[in-house]
Amino acid sequence: MKIVERGNELATRLYGDRKLRGNLELLRYRVLGAEIDKGLLFKAVVYFILINVAFIYIKPILYMVTTMVKDAKNILDPSVIWVPRSLYWGHLQEASEMLNYGRSFLISVSLASSVAVLQVVSCAIAGYAFARLDFPFKKLWGALLLFTFIMPPQITILPSIMLFKSFGWLNTFLPMVVPALFGHGLKGALFVIIYRSFYSTLPKELDEAARMDGAGPFRMFFRVMFPIARSATVVVVLFSFVWNWNDFYFPSLYMFTAENVPLSITLARMAGEMKLAEGAGEITVYAEAIKMAASFLIIMPLLVVYLFAQRWFIEGVERSGLVE
Amino acid sequence: MKFTRRLEAQTLRKLEGSLFIAPWVIGFLTFVAFPLGFSLYMSFHQVKITVSSVNYTFIGFQHYREILIANGSLLYEQLFPFLRESAMMIPIILVFSLLVAILLNLRFPGRTLFRVIFFLPVIFSSGQIVQEFIAQGEGSLSIMETLRIDYYLREYVPGAWAAPIQKVMESFVLVLWYSGVQILIFLAGRQTLPAAVYEASRIDGSGPWNTFWKITLPGLVPYIFLNLMYTVVDLFTFPSNPIVSMVNTTNYGSSSALAWIYFSIILTFVLLTLGLYSRVDKSLSGSRS
Repeated sequence: MKIVERGNELATRLYGDRKLRGNLELLRYRVLGAEIDKGLLFKAVVYFILINVAFIYIKPILYMVTTMVKDAKNILDPSVIWVPRSLYWGHLQEASEMLNYGRSFLISVSLASSVAVLQVVSCAIAGYAFARLDFPFKKLWGALLLFTFIMPPQITILPSIMLFKSFGWLNTFLPMVVPALFGHGLKGALFVIIYRSFYSTLPKELDEAARMDGAGPFRMFFRVMFPIARSATVVVVLFSFVWNWNDFYFPSLYMFTAENVPLSITLARMAGEMKLAEGAGEITVYAEAIKMAASFLIIMPLLVVYLFAQRWFIEGVERSGLVE
Repeated sequence: MKFTRRLEAQTLRKLEGSLFIAPWVIGFLTFVAFPLGFSLYMSFHQVKITVSSVNYTFIGFQHYREILIANGSLLYEQLFPFLRESAMMIPIILVFSLLVAILLNLRFPGRTLFRVIFFLPVIFSSGQIVQEFIAQGEGSLSIMETLRIDYYLREYVPGAWAAPIQKVMESFVLVLWYSGVQILIFLAGRQTLPAAVYEASRIDGSGPWNTFWKITLPGLVPYIFLNLMYTVVDLFTFPSNPIVSMVNTTNYGSSSALAWIYFSIILTFVLLTLGLYSRVDKSLSGSRS
């Protein structure tokens, strides 16, 4: 009993100490903040999570870059894990020769950018029609649009090959480019949906005002509606370009015997060749470094594009009605 | 007079709309509807390709019977582990991308830098590069080996689930790599929640924890389902997925049948998701009003 009383007394005296209390309060304020999400503790946790995840995303890239500049001595040296003692650019050169980089790069750029441009225009037109215009069986077509989005491309791939074969388009770029012209192609349905949700957020008065000013439907679309969808366009262009650049599936099936192939195919062919060489007993310490150099050569253009586009891209994601 | 003019205007509008949608419809008919119908046709036929022509013999459901029953192990051995794997991957992807999107939405110094980094997966994850990284073992967490988690898993989890769990754990980093677009969707969705609501809840003395469960999460329900759908579609149509890679040019008839079986599985999942969504949406709007 007495002990409890004494303890209480002690506690009140301690607590009564105003200076200590003030300090404690300040400490609490600093660490926890006026509200939880303003304090140091919270910020530390946020940064901890973000930095960890960011590390996960960056690590493969770091690994790629550091492996690619290691020469034989650095590869075999067990004390070298991340930072090589010297830089060696030979692997890059070799990889670019094996990939036939100059030509494949040009092919990839022209293929991906032409598909991206065509998809932007055609998907914008279709999305605009779905969101703001009236046409027969609109509900049905809308359902079919969703269906196209869900449908795996594998289900139509074999008849498509036969179709394009009968057109005589195999081993050319036409099987990738022509569907894009009509608002299809790689993930075309998704882009139509993005545009549709963007256009359905715009106020109705916009059309009326443009109509009042005497603009015809095509003029209105290309002068008013298409420019206004800039943020959606940025997202679609970037997605379309990147996905077409990376796509391996369609080119591998539509142009499997072609001479001029995009980078994604040359990379696969190169990996196949190296595996064959390995099977034949040609074991080399360079294999990994060369593979990494090739990977780097392929994603570097994307990284450059992304670094330039990221500002508009992030803005576009927030504004585009990517969702709705 | 007035009536006919209005009618005319309406037809004119319809004509305009038809003009705009025409390219897409033509594309749909040639590049989607026709191949789709044709693959259905092929799935009921024995397809023989000779140098000069393609021969079709009607065999009814034989391809389906072969894949589903007679030669079933071929499909099921690939399908069930894959389904279990996706059953675990999908929640991880959703929770992770929601967490990251909410963190990225906070205001803190260096936010732009983090956003740039977190959108990187959008660039890589569709390519060959990720396959390359998996081959290098970049997909696994080193903590798995140090803690010998795989050993405990094998010991204590029923056999059918241990392998998929282990596979998911081994490719955990990969799972994070697949959530690029999902983060984007959540981030964009978070922007649609009005700031005024947050202001009001703060003035009413609600803490961040409460605000998240009472405002952010219910507001994001549509996007959670959108992401669920996107993730299902994305996982199931990824070219490196085991069943998809079985669809190839060696046997047109049975490949088409396989593709149709697979598609009906996907469709079931998507319809389930949609059904669940309409239910949740109804109950949510019921509790709100």
